[in-house]
Amino acid sequence: MPGTIGPDEVRRVADAALGIGGADGVEVLFMHSWGGLTRFASSAIHQSTWSEDTDIRVRVVKDGRIGVASANGFTPEESRAAAESAREIAGVAAPDPLFPGLAPPAPIEATDRLDEAIASASPEQRAETVADVVGRCAGLEAAGAYETSAMEMAVANSEGQFAWAPWTLASLSAVAKSQGGGTGFAETFATTLGDVDASGVGERAARKARSSDEPRDLDPGAYTVVLEPAAVSTLVGFMAFIGFGGRALLEGRSCLSGKNGQRVAAPTVSIYDDATSPLTIGSPFDFEGVPRRRVELIRDGIFLDGVYDLRTAKQTGKEPTGHALPAPNPEGPFPLNLFMEPGDATLEEMIAATERGVLVTRFHYSNIVHEVESTITGMTRDGTFAIEDGEIAHPVKNLRFTQSILEALTNTTMIGRETELASEFFFSSSRVPALRIEGFHFTGRSDH
Amino acid sequence: MLDVARAAVDAARAAGAGFADARVVAIESESLTVRNQEMEGIDRSSSQGLGIRVLLDGYWGFAATARLGEGEIHRTAELATRIAKAASRLPREPVTLAAVEPATGRYQTPMQQDPFTVPLEEKIALLMEATRRVQAVEGVTFAEGGIDLFRSRSWFASSEGSAIEQTIVHSGAGIDATAIGDGEMQRRSYPNAFRGHIAAAGWEHIAKLGLVEEAERTGAQAVELLSAHECPSEVTTLVLDSGQVELQIHESIGHAVELDRVLGMEEAYAGSSFVTPDDRGRLRFASALVSITADATLPGGLGTFGWDDEGVPAQRFPVIENGVFENFISSRETASVLGLPSTGAMRADGWQSLPLVRMTNISIEPREGTLADIIGDTKDGVFMATNRSWSIDDRRMNFQFGCEIAWRIHDGKLTQMYRNPNYTGITPEFWGRCDAVGGREDWTLWGTPNCGKGQPTQTARVGHGCAPARFRDVQVGVRA
Repeated sequence: MPGTIGPDEVRRVADAALGIGGADGVEVLFMHSWGGLTRFASSAIHQSTWSEDTDIRVRVVKDGRIGVASANGFTPEESRAAAESAREIAGVAAPDPLFPGLAPPAPIEATDRLDEAIASASPEQRAETVADVVGRCAGLEAAGAYETSAMEMAVANSEGQFAWAPWTLASLSAVAKSQGGGTGFAETFATTLGDVDASGVGERAARKARSSDEPRDLDPGAYTVVLEPAAVSTLVGFMAFIGFGGRALLEGRSCLSGKNGQRVAAPTVSIYDDATSPLTIGSPFDFEGVPRRRVELIRDGIFLDGVYDLRTAKQTGKEPTGHALPAPNPEGPFPLNLFMEPGDATLEEMIAATERGVLVTRFHYSNIVHEVESTITGMTRDGTFAIEDGEIAHPVKNLRFTQSILEALTNTTMIGRETELASEFFFSSSRVPALRIEGFHFTGRSDH
Repeated sequence: MLDVARAAVDAARAAGAGFADARVVAIESESLTVRNQEMEGIDRSSSQGLGIRVLLDGYWGFAATARLGEGEIHRTAELATRIAKAASRLPREPVTLAAVEPATGRYQTPMQQDPFTVPLEEKIALLMEATRRVQAVEGVTFAEGGIDLFRSRSWFASSEGSAIEQTIVHSGAGIDATAIGDGEMQRRSYPNAFRGHIAAAGWEHIAKLGLVEEAERTGAQAVELLSAHECPSEVTTLVLDSGQVELQIHESIGHAVELDRVLGMEEAYAGSSFVTPDDRGRLRFASALVSITADATLPGGLGTFGWDDEGVPAQRFPVIENGVFENFISSRETASVLGLPSTGAMRADGWQSLPLVRMTNISIEPREGTLADIIGDTKDGVFMATNRSWSIDDRRMNFQFGCEIAWRIHDGKLTQMYRNPNYTGITPEFWGRCDAVGGREDWTLWGTPNCGKGQPTQTARVGHGCAPARFRDVQVGVRA
């Protein structure tokens, strides 16, 4: 299995691009990823893959014009060729009057996020872990995926900034399915291989599947819901898309535009972004090489501010927070390490406090309905239950929700004491607790 | 590069694989975005590598590398074989493959002008002029335009003797206008949402799109939407333009008839399907007016090729015929489970990806009349155009779609404009209420370049030929 290329070799290859000449500025973004993913379905491994790739993305500035080119080779020659292609593009592009310049030199806080055991995990190890999950799902059909992945990323630019960091992630998810139509979901994300709790994932998925056998119809309507962390991560994750980005805020496209200092959620709700926390994954610097900072987004229900890259920081007169995406980036900055602060309730206490409601394990295929109103729609999946008189009464068939996220955060009445990390793709994650929310809108239902 | 693919197959066989295939793939892309007369970015990317797939005692293994040296080819082939061995940790019915004749040959997307050779200055000038006209409309906040070019060259070899070289080229462009005011944001796109209209073609496709000519109308509608009434909440007759029929087919038919989903292979992630293996020739999926065809030979489609990524020739076959479900889209492995030949729909989004069952060009067969004819034949209802949002459950039953714009239909005429329109339904009920499908004159072959599926997630490029259509008794105007 490969290891990291390392900062010295990365710098040597980057230097070939930085030294091309005929440019006012050059930036090199380097990424190297490798890992394996073992998928299982019908309680057997049906797809198992491994890949390794590199990517050199070069941004060239020339007379206020910008060009970007990338290639997946990793030699000084290929690095230089990408830079020359970017320079050619910059030569014909229209000027960019809002270009803020490249990142100045700044120290990057060292992080220790490379777990050699994850980086070198073998197909046999992944198969053994999957076998453990499947073994916990006796009498059920188990499906899911176990991925062990590693990444190293670096940014070097002609201003003298150089940043490099590696990290790893192991993610395991499972869906168990019973013959009676019950399904159950569980997942875990770990930054060290030893923390992957396969037995726990298998047992939780199996327990959910067995308890959701023979689901009944439930009429759509407004219900009190208890959302487990996987479901809460959908709400918080969509706020990254439609709420917290500095460009969307600046342009009036965000559901939080113009609401700085205003109450947008219940007083118990606080959300922040913090890539420096040991409880999350990813890089301590952004794709422009700016150190990532902790940013308070919503504190005690009050919206404070969003996240900014170099461009939006210049436009607003604020400091960049280290949230740039790879250039060119029409979407603007984006929070990739969201946290919701925990409360003091257990899941059982939230259920006990609910006279009539719905317990949701997770949502499926959610999408934006109305950005400015923060309204999204999606389906429940893999364990949805009616709550009656403070107890789980029976499983219910899946429901469609159509709901404003900000309204849901405003109607939040209890917050779980434990948080879980949920990650929908490699760079983005959120660590959130369970929530009890009143008046959550279910607008349709399915047949299973 | 065919030699590299053959060497990888040989290395896999030497490592113990009973069957192996290998693909060397080189992908180039170019993307330009202009917004409010400023360059948002010009991006050229390239990626090249090798993916090796093996079968060992009925278990799959796959490994991929960006490096093509001899030692790396051997190391990757051995790793793919080792992965297949590891998969046998959980016993299963051994994989078998539907038979296919070994193929040799070349395929290239027909085109008149290579889009990558068109000067950047010409591309920029087109986007600048189109978006200048959008922005000239009073009330437009953002005027954006984009061009996207894609070229994939692949070299495929298998241990059964196939040796195939293909070059696929896609070109597309679009504009959109955004208007913001009074807590509302509205967007109109042309020719379609999400980067416009992409086709398997050269620059000639982009030159014919009419971006400049349609710019002012696009901007004006975005502004008008700001003050339009909300789409009412009611059960009514719904007419969809061909752009929205595209998403409706994609989500509720295309994915539902992928045989890997039906067999549970995507259960944990994208989900399964309400369609079962026994439904061929039996399931009443839609009204008798609806016939759906899968056609990987269709000129201009994003799902058009010579052979799929297992070396199975491109095919045309009925998916739904006069409302009755007839055929799955399948691979050699999944077709073999049902004792059928593969329908040639195994596709990967690059060298690093394991091929999956993907849509090709899944199209509704045209019937009669224009969009105007359908509206003219509708006494009361709502007409919706251009997709804005999509969501569907894990068995492809309950869906909810949003569109950019709608109008009331009253006595065969479009009257009041509505903003934020959406509708919801249950797949077979909805398609069962289809009572009009437009004719060839308003039938458009759209491209969907962003179809996500699989783990690690892959993004497929698929096509949908669509005509406007009408559906009775549909719930529109879903509110939170």
